[in-house]
Amino acid sequence: MPVVEHERYVEVAEVSKVYRSGTPEAVEAVSSVSFILPRGQFVAVLGPSGCGKSTLLMMLGGLESVTAGHIAIGGEPMIGPRTSIGIMFQDATLLPWKSALDNVLFPIRVLKRPLDAYRDGARQLLERVGLDGFIYKKPHELSGGMRQRVAICRALVYDPELLLMDEPFSALDAITRDEMNELLLDLWQQYTKTALFVTHSIREAVFLADRVLVMTRRPATIVEDLTVPFARPRPMAIGESREFNEICGHLRERIEESHRPNGRRPETSVGRRELVG
Amino acid sequence: MTAEYSAVPRIGIAPARLAGNAVLAAPHLRRLRPVILPLLMAAVVLLVWQFVVTVLRIPAVILPPPVEIGHELWRAFPVLLHHAVPTTLDSLMAFFLASALGVGLAIAITYSPFLRDMLYPNLIVFQLIPKVALAPLFVVWLGIGSESRVVFAAFVSFFPVVISTAVGFANVEASALRLCRSLTASEWQCFAMVRFPFALPAIFSGMKIAMTMAVIGVIIGEFISAQAGLGFYILYASSRMETAVIFAALFVLCVIGVALFGAVALAEELVRRSYGRR
Repeated sequence: MPVVEHERYVEVAEVSKVYRSGTPEAVEAVSSVSFILPRGQFVAVLGPSGCGKSTLLMMLGGLESVTAGHIAIGGEPMIGPRTSIGIMFQDATLLPWKSALDNVLFPIRVLKRPLDAYRDGARQLLERVGLDGFIYKKPHELSGGMRQRVAICRALVYDPELLLMDEPFSALDAITRDEMNELLLDLWQQYTKTALFVTHSIREAVFLADRVLVMTRRPATIVEDLTVPFARPRPMAIGESREFNEICGHLRERIEESHRPNGRRPETSVGRRELVG
Repeated sequence: MTAEYSAVPRIGIAPARLAGNAVLAAPHLRRLRPVILPLLMAAVVLLVWQFVVTVLRIPAVILPPPVEIGHELWRAFPVLLHHAVPTTLDSLMAFFLASALGVGLAIAITYSPFLRDMLYPNLIVFQLIPKVALAPLFVVWLGIGSESRVVFAAFVSFFPVVISTAVGFANVEASALRLCRSLTASEWQCFAMVRFPFALPAIFSGMKIAMTMAVIGVIIGEFISAQAGLGFYILYASSRMETAVIFAALFVLCVIGVALFGAVALAEELVRRSYGRR
């Protein structure tokens, strides 16, 4: 994937988010985060639960306001949701009364684009993720992994430039999750240009991304920006390699370091188990 | 999986007990079971009723036997039909009024926090008033014509629609609305494409209650002031001690109620299916 190093496709500058700002219960969910993504990169934001990484993603998608700092995508400041961005949420969020195909076409309907022009594309996407026989099934007839696959297709059907994913596979079992990761890489190489993937799984981040941004809980900011050296396509087996595990170990250390000064050992060890998963 | 076993979870009877139900367990009969069983039950009740009334020689004025009620139903059918018309029409009118106002108010409550904070607690308190006690007021306000009965019945049946619809709108999956917003959908699109279809089961459950309440409201209205209608006819028959006629009228009322309820259920099925197709 050719990456123009100097291009500032996504620009996040000193961005903070404070909930209930100005009150005694003010909570700083994101604290002065800055990074730049060139077009075409697959970037993972890695951090423990509650570190504000989802909030960061929602701000990038224009679904949350920014308390301080600024975000620009494609050179234009983010002030609200955009059609050049596709978002995948933690749950599949399918509409229960619509078939898989109609769920995939939902964005087209909302965007008032001609359905006929997209129907074939939607079918191809569903076939691509192995749901050939399920395009007319309703969500309740699909398994959790299948629903998330429909959600991937829905995020890709209108061909967004940037795909934002908020722990999309965290509710799936480990085996399904590995499958979904492989599938996602496959699709990303064909369809999207730039991807930001939020996760609390170190291995998932290293397997998927060109670059891993590590976020910690206190302060809720990015403490590490690591480039993953593996070439694509990546077979599942790279997870067994020494280099892969060294990178994972390094990332784990970085996360634990940032938790140590707080002197809360029990919480850290819980946090670690969570991270390994 | 045996045929018998598959029926167990649905009706919750242990397999051993089910064996005693051999007649209904036959495959072709089992499908008709939801129809046959209640009809059988009703038939048994009628038989016992007939038997008890005959054996204990209960006077027909107190409790007429089913056979006599059937006879009365046959004899007075044209009159009953004549009185059924205004009752049915008033109930339908009240139902539509209540549904339109109820859904409308629920939308207002959903989209305006100001209106919600102002109205919702009052609606709940109002729910608690025994609204039947207000029926005479409607006669004072709107006279003895059909308007007072329709408005009273609508008033009675309006509450379940508002409450149920408002709850339905509020319980829409937040993530679905977020998805909608992420696609730059307008407020109207979010409502029409997500919030409304999500709330349909709740709206229809409110409307089903409203339908039965509307019939009740109209009958109460007819008890108070009317020159026609089944409520009026029941009162008239009771003043003449024609108990069998009362029961015959009740039977007709029952049929009307079932038909109206069924119509709402059918409408729900059609609307939900039409959403599924899109």
